[in-house]
Amino acid sequence: MAKYLIKRIVTGLLSVIAVVAIVMILIYSLMDRQLIFSMDSVFTKTSNNSRTVYMYQKWEEYGYLDYVTYSDYINQLYKDGEIDDETRDSIKTIGRTEDADSELVAEYVAKFTEYYESQGYTVQRLKAITTGNKIVTGGNQQLFAYKDIPVIQRLWTYLTSIITFDNIHTVEDDVGERGLTFTLYDPVYGGEKFSPAIIGNGTLHKYLLYFDDQFPYIHQNFVSINLGVSYTVNQGIDVTTTMTQAQGSYVKTTTIYPSGLVEESADDLHTATYVSGSKDASLVYVTRYTDDYTNTITRKSGMSKMGYSFVIGILATIMAYALGIPLGILMAQHKDGFIDKLGSLYIIFMIAVPSLAYIFIFKSIGGKLGFPTTFIVDSATPMYYVLPIVSLALPSVASLMKWLRRYMIDQMNSDYVKFARAGGLSEGEIFRGHILKNAVIPIIHGIPGSILGALTGAIITERVYSVPGTGNLLITAINKYDNSVIVGVTLFYALLSVVSLILGDILMSAVDPRISFTTKAR
Amino acid sequence: MTTAEISEKYGLSKEELFAHVDNNEEEAERITAPRYSYWHSVFRVFFRKKINVVILVLLGIMIVFTYIYPAVTTYDKYANISDSLSKHLGPAAAMEYFGASIHWIFGSGSSGQSTFDAVWYGARISVSLAFICAAINMTIGIVVGALWGFSKRVDNIMIPIYNIVGNIPYVLLISVLVMLFTPSFWTMVFALTITGWIGIASFLRTQVIIIRDREYNLASKCLGTSTFKIAIKNILPFMTSVIVTQAATEIPSYISYEVFLAYIGMGISDMSLGRLIYEAETAMVTPGWEMEFWCPVAVVSFITIVLYVVGQNLGDATDPRTHM
Repeated sequence: MAKYLIKRIVTGLLSVIAVVAIVMILIYSLMDRQLIFSMDSVFTKTSNNSRTVYMYQKWEEYGYLDYVTYSDYINQLYKDGEIDDETRDSIKTIGRTEDADSELVAEYVAKFTEYYESQGYTVQRLKAITTGNKIVTGGNQQLFAYKDIPVIQRLWTYLTSIITFDNIHTVEDDVGERGLTFTLYDPVYGGEKFSPAIIGNGTLHKYLLYFDDQFPYIHQNFVSINLGVSYTVNQGIDVTTTMTQAQGSYVKTTTIYPSGLVEESADDLHTATYVSGSKDASLVYVTRYTDDYTNTITRKSGMSKMGYSFVIGILATIMAYALGIPLGILMAQHKDGFIDKLGSLYIIFMIAVPSLAYIFIFKSIGGKLGFPTTFIVDSATPMYYVLPIVSLALPSVASLMKWLRRYMIDQMNSDYVKFARAGGLSEGEIFRGHILKNAVIPIIHGIPGSILGALTGAIITERVYSVPGTGNLLITAINKYDNSVIVGVTLFYALLSVVSLILGDILMSAVDPRISFTTKAR
Repeated sequence: MTTAEISEKYGLSKEELFAHVDNNEEEAERITAPRYSYWHSVFRVFFRKKINVVILVLLGIMIVFTYIYPAVTTYDKYANISDSLSKHLGPAAAMEYFGASIHWIFGSGSSGQSTFDAVWYGARISVSLAFICAAINMTIGIVVGALWGFSKRVDNIMIPIYNIVGNIPYVLLISVLVMLFTPSFWTMVFALTITGWIGIASFLRTQVIIIRDREYNLASKCLGTSTFKIAIKNILPFMTSVIVTQAATEIPSYISYEVFLAYIGMGISDMSLGRLIYEAETAMVTPGWEMEFWCPVAVVSFITIVLYVVGQNLGDATDPRTHM
């Protein structure tokens, strides 16, 4: 069993990697790069050479290519100590044309070209655009090098940076004595309340282990998962954080800052991360903090995107199984009877009619009955969840009814049922003890899938009721060309589907001892 | 005792008793097995259910309105664009304004166009899309699925491909393809068929594997029947009902998919049913304009239900086990 499972997990992970590679090819290589500028107001305002430079800058930010300007190169040389102040000032501006370069500039331009071309970059020099002797708007001379990131390299850097371990050498600046301290009295709570915590210096996160009143009460920051940093959907924030961060309005509590300042604030000091030189950059930070661990996540009243999707999805799944299984049994018991016909009508309706149509029908019926139809994060009472849950559950009820009825009727004709009947068992005993047990096995296979699937959210339901869940994340990312979010979300979906298949198989073999994965199939 | 006495004594009817039959040479030469024709039986079983006649009539009406009605009427969305009085009228008001005709029984839309005409012009696009996609996907799916089920070597290649392709988000694939090309009708056909066949192929593979190793096929093989003949004569008749049932769920699902894609803003540029629903969404919440939204929804539901029910019942009728 263990060997079989390891094999399944390895092949599953390989197929996930293949999916990520295909998605990367689709969005980075096949899609037209110009499309990202279609709604960009800055792009339309810029012209001439500065538009070209702007395009390359954006392409680098969206992750298409690697882009280095001549001034970046000179600054790097200066930082490395290869040139002094004086040389830097004399070579930092290139001539309007190549012929206009001074001797020294021409030398460094040649160095720049040689260095980057040897690494596979394309070096481009744009001549100044002039009218008479004056440079037109955006017509300044430019020199830069760029290189498309190959798929293999992109895939490798992405996969190797998914899981990062925080350690005391993460921060490059001089932060004093690096190390981890264990305290039994968390300073966030004033240093008097008993609450163990591990605090780091030199790590990215200040608190590596702590307790608070949020589920699951104990939190760690040693290991973090990075699925890709968003550019347009939620700028600078990782996909994992986008999905798990709370939403809604700020919740202010009495916060004791490291400096001793007490203030009503929504900052969650446990989430502080290091930002180089941030304390001295802001006067507010100087009064609050004693070090550069200033970047905190704010406390908000609502749940995260994933939280909303999961709560709605899981309740809908429970409702679907609670309704679908008894109704399916009822239909099979009264085969060709009135209940069966009524149930079949419902199944036909749910399968044939586009989901969009019946969700709108539910919405308008629910609205007439007085249920709220638009989800508002800050005032979400249980009533707000009713319609999304029902809209999500009813189609699954139909498909559960359909399959359970089918499996039970198939079992009804088998020999062991005839034998049980001949042996004198009552119809009820046969149904519950024999037929149902065999018929639910394929249904059980789908349970992990529906539970994990709740995490991915439902596109139409969430959109129609404006639930701030994960269902719309992929579509928003596609519409906003947020490539790294697309890749991250795809990886998340693919992992969930692989895991739920494996879990389904394990659950099935646990329920039915006849199913075994150790012996080879015929 | 005579027959009458016996039947009275034991309470048996006449049919249950033995009766004397004279020797008949002519009758003895006749072979009594009933004549069996597959397609004949399919239609006999199909029309045995009276509901199927009703459904067929509805299908006929649907086809007339989707294909013949747009061909014989002219529809110009912007014909009344400058007439501000003609916009967003309910059926009664539209009939009063334009005069009673079939065009105005659903009222008028945001540019004063006839909702009824718009819906059927859209239906022609949506239904054509569904039929073309289903035809392509079913053909490729059946051929690949049959090979997949029969050959172990193909199985080893197809399983990993299926695992990978099945995990690529469908929405992503379609939107990338729609962005790559223009969002036209044929782009959508391409996007829906490039990976759509693999689900059908895997479904058919399972069916072929179930039937392939049945005893009668083993017996047939032992008697020296060629694999090709087994495939055509022994397995295909069973597959017909599976294929028809599958087609019955596939065709409406493409219509649903088109509606879904249009709703999330990734649909085609033609005024299909999905796009009509998408554009009329704002009308739904405006009192008095609801007809503009609900009419395309009702029509798309009508079309998908009719297609689904016809397909399902035809699927039942094509199953040889129901021909007894």
